[in-house]
Amino acid sequence: MKLKICGMKYQDNIEQVAALQPDYLGFIFYEDTPRHFDTKIPNISEHIKKVGVFVNEEISTVIEKVNEFNLDAVQLHGEESPYYCSILRSTKLFSNDTPIEIIKVFSIKDKFNFDILEAYENVCDFYLFDTKGKLPGGNGYRFDWSLLNNYPSSKPFFLSGGIGIDQVEDIKNFKASQASKYCYALDVNSKFEKEPGLKNTSVLREFINKLNNKKTMNYNVDDRGYYGEFGGAFIPEMLYPNVEELRQNYLKVMAEPDFQKEFDQLLKDYVGRPSPLYFAKRLSEKYNAKIYLKREDLNHTGAHKINNTIGQILMAKRLGKSRIIAETGAGQHGVATATVCALMGLECIVYMGEIDIARQAPNVARMKMLGATVVPALSGSRTLKDATNEAIRDWINNPVNTHYIIGSAIGPHPYPDMVTRFQAVISEEIKWQLKAHEGRENPDYVVACIGGGSNAAGTYYHYLHEPEVGIIAVEAAGLGVDSGESAATSVLGKEGIIHGCKTLLMQTNDGQITEPYSISAGLDYPGVGPMHAHLSKTGRAEFLSITDSDAMEAGLELSKLEGIIPAIETSHALAIFGQRTFKPDDVIVVSLSGRGDKDLQNYIDYFKI
Amino acid sequence: MNRIQSKLQEDKKLLSIYFTAGYPNINDTVTIIENLEKNGVDMIEIGLPFSDPLADGPTIQDSSTAALKNGMTTEVLFNQLKDIRKTVNIPLIIMGYFNPMFQYGVEAFCKKCQDFGIDGLIIPDLPVDVYHEEYQAIFEKYGLINVFLITPQTSDERIRYIDSISNGFIYMVSSASTTGAQSGFGEEQTAYFERIANMNLKNQQIIGFGISNNETFTQATKYSKGAIIGSAFVKHVTKQGINTIDNFVNVILN
Repeated sequence: MKLKICGMKYQDNIEQVAALQPDYLGFIFYEDTPRHFDTKIPNISEHIKKVGVFVNEEISTVIEKVNEFNLDAVQLHGEESPYYCSILRSTKLFSNDTPIEIIKVFSIKDKFNFDILEAYENVCDFYLFDTKGKLPGGNGYRFDWSLLNNYPSSKPFFLSGGIGIDQVEDIKNFKASQASKYCYALDVNSKFEKEPGLKNTSVLREFINKLNNKKTMNYNVDDRGYYGEFGGAFIPEMLYPNVEELRQNYLKVMAEPDFQKEFDQLLKDYVGRPSPLYFAKRLSEKYNAKIYLKREDLNHTGAHKINNTIGQILMAKRLGKSRIIAETGAGQHGVATATVCALMGLECIVYMGEIDIARQAPNVARMKMLGATVVPALSGSRTLKDATNEAIRDWINNPVNTHYIIGSAIGPHPYPDMVTRFQAVISEEIKWQLKAHEGRENPDYVVACIGGGSNAAGTYYHYLHEPEVGIIAVEAAGLGVDSGESAATSVLGKEGIIHGCKTLLMQTNDGQITEPYSISAGLDYPGVGPMHAHLSKTGRAEFLSITDSDAMEAGLELSKLEGIIPAIETSHALAIFGQRTFKPDDVIVVSLSGRGDKDLQNYIDYFKI
Repeated sequence: MNRIQSKLQEDKKLLSIYFTAGYPNINDTVTIIENLEKNGVDMIEIGLPFSDPLADGPTIQDSSTAALKNGMTTEVLFNQLKDIRKTVNIPLIIMGYFNPMFQYGVEAFCKKCQDFGIDGLIIPDLPVDVYHEEYQAIFEKYGLINVFLITPQTSDERIRYIDSISNGFIYMVSSASTTGAQSGFGEEQTAYFERIANMNLKNQQIIGFGISNNETFTQATKYSKGAIIGSAFVKHVTKQGINTIDNFVNVILN
């Protein structure tokens, strides 16, 4: 059964509803209704037919509107005669060659005399049965559908009148009954509105999914701070006031116009956004697909990390915090945090594993130049996991004046959601940039590497609920998934609790967290953000793992083919083209999360350059 | 009545000692427990070591790392505690982080505790709301008392909520800190101790974090039912081994 959504009014809302791919959208040209349509119809898919709804209108006006708005159908809601319909059917005054569809409406109350239809059999394409009420349509209640058991015609009809999400079962029963034999489409309107003319897209989506027996899956965080079964806030009581303060305020603060303005301005003037969406011609030729690179490597400080630190430093200021702490592995997030602290004149303490400090001397120097204090984490394995523990301990000891800027989409709720929202600018830009390149917002695939998963979360965010967009998550296999030296959490991890959230993590049978391995210092985190654990568990995302050697080769290949030296983290995402095939017309957007300058020594050592 | 509840009814200030199971040596667990009881300790927290103890300072972190290296696991600990009730009568509490219990299976873990005579649990990273919604019924089924922490930053409203969920004592963290970070109490802490004492909570409070000697023990118990010593005891066994536990306890109590 087809679906018509009627009573469209607002441009943005029309675009959002069109994204749900209904078969018909209705625009009401009758003036005496709050849903009267009086603006322009934005560009929507040509597969969606645009219906003009009229009530006893002058024929010349109907023709004018059809031509002006490029309508595909007219719906006649008044006492239009068979003769009126026949004129519209035969007129040569339509500018479009394709004949327009004519839908004649009949309103049913308790009973209906179907004899009236006979005169219309040859002059219209569809009937539409609506509930008789005070207004011509949009009354919001339904008639007795079993009356249609007496439908004498074989002309396809639209079923209308008060259809809402609570009637999915009734609709299914109706579909199974004889009365629906010629029912061609459902027509919905007022039961899916926030206000007259403004449709609620999430309820519409749920309705469509329910009708199609599709389980609605929410990939965003829920009210309790969970993504499916993952997430939450498993924190010691000492942290509760800090995390709770953030939870209560983060959405409020992010919605403030002043905050948004400052955030957008800094992203533009300081970070250098929008970052380009670049069509990688030679890489595309080599792998016979259309590959685009989202150039997060061109951001200030050389990676996507700064999107989040800008957001969080503004958040910290609004919460009245004067001291900033952060954890860092390779030093990228530490540098991004030290940078925004310098920008805002706030004290900055970065925890970094003692081993990482030795491995990443240039980033340690950068942080120091930016005025940050780098504190070595001496406990446990003395890497990222332990730096995170130390930062959390610092926060426990400094609960009042300190904000903890977590660098990945991990930690207790609301961190994973907050970080994701700050990084979501990546997919927001991809949408309009891809539209300019390809004429469509949705690629066939979005691809990103995943350690904790912040660049991935931002790259996927606006595509999570677009089922036609495939999501590919690339983890670090290290020396191989079965080698014992790996960071492929989705394969090797089990559900557990790390750094305040329930997610997939690498651990012993006894629940002790283990140390992962990858050549890339940004991917060797033993857990993965709870959103990604949910994407993995539900099958929404395809998880691939790439070994050190495949990643290094892919990094070298991109350098030679496109003149871009990627970070080793990013090289993992690029290596999928050697592992997985795509169709020649597939459009694939890869998040080029960071540039390779910081990894030069690694590349030098590996390739003996 | 649970041993913890009986103990709380005794007319005295309670001394509770925390130690890390499997430290300094893997098989010290039972000896430490027996010696602590013999020397007049009222209650014991047996630390189940974890790789990433977020709420702990360096002393307990290091002892945990060492215990894990020694081969301590949940299963090993339960094996060691199998016959503990043949020799020990004071309340025993297992204190550890949630992930090892979660992997063991929360219900299986609770059942083992009941089987071997463990009276309660302290799990710093299992928030009271999650416990309330998901695990309270299981803990109660096996007769276990779950002990929650409060801190100087915990709001009165939340303290009342925690009090309503608790049925043993409330673990009062003396200051905003990880374990072993404080030495001595200042005015800020005593004001906080007084504030809580005046709330007339249903559950009595036992103060922990920052108690290391007779002076701090006396200060803390002035406002509460008892005090818990953790890092100071772990430091003691690190330096002096487990044969001089009597000295340590005597210094605190006298």
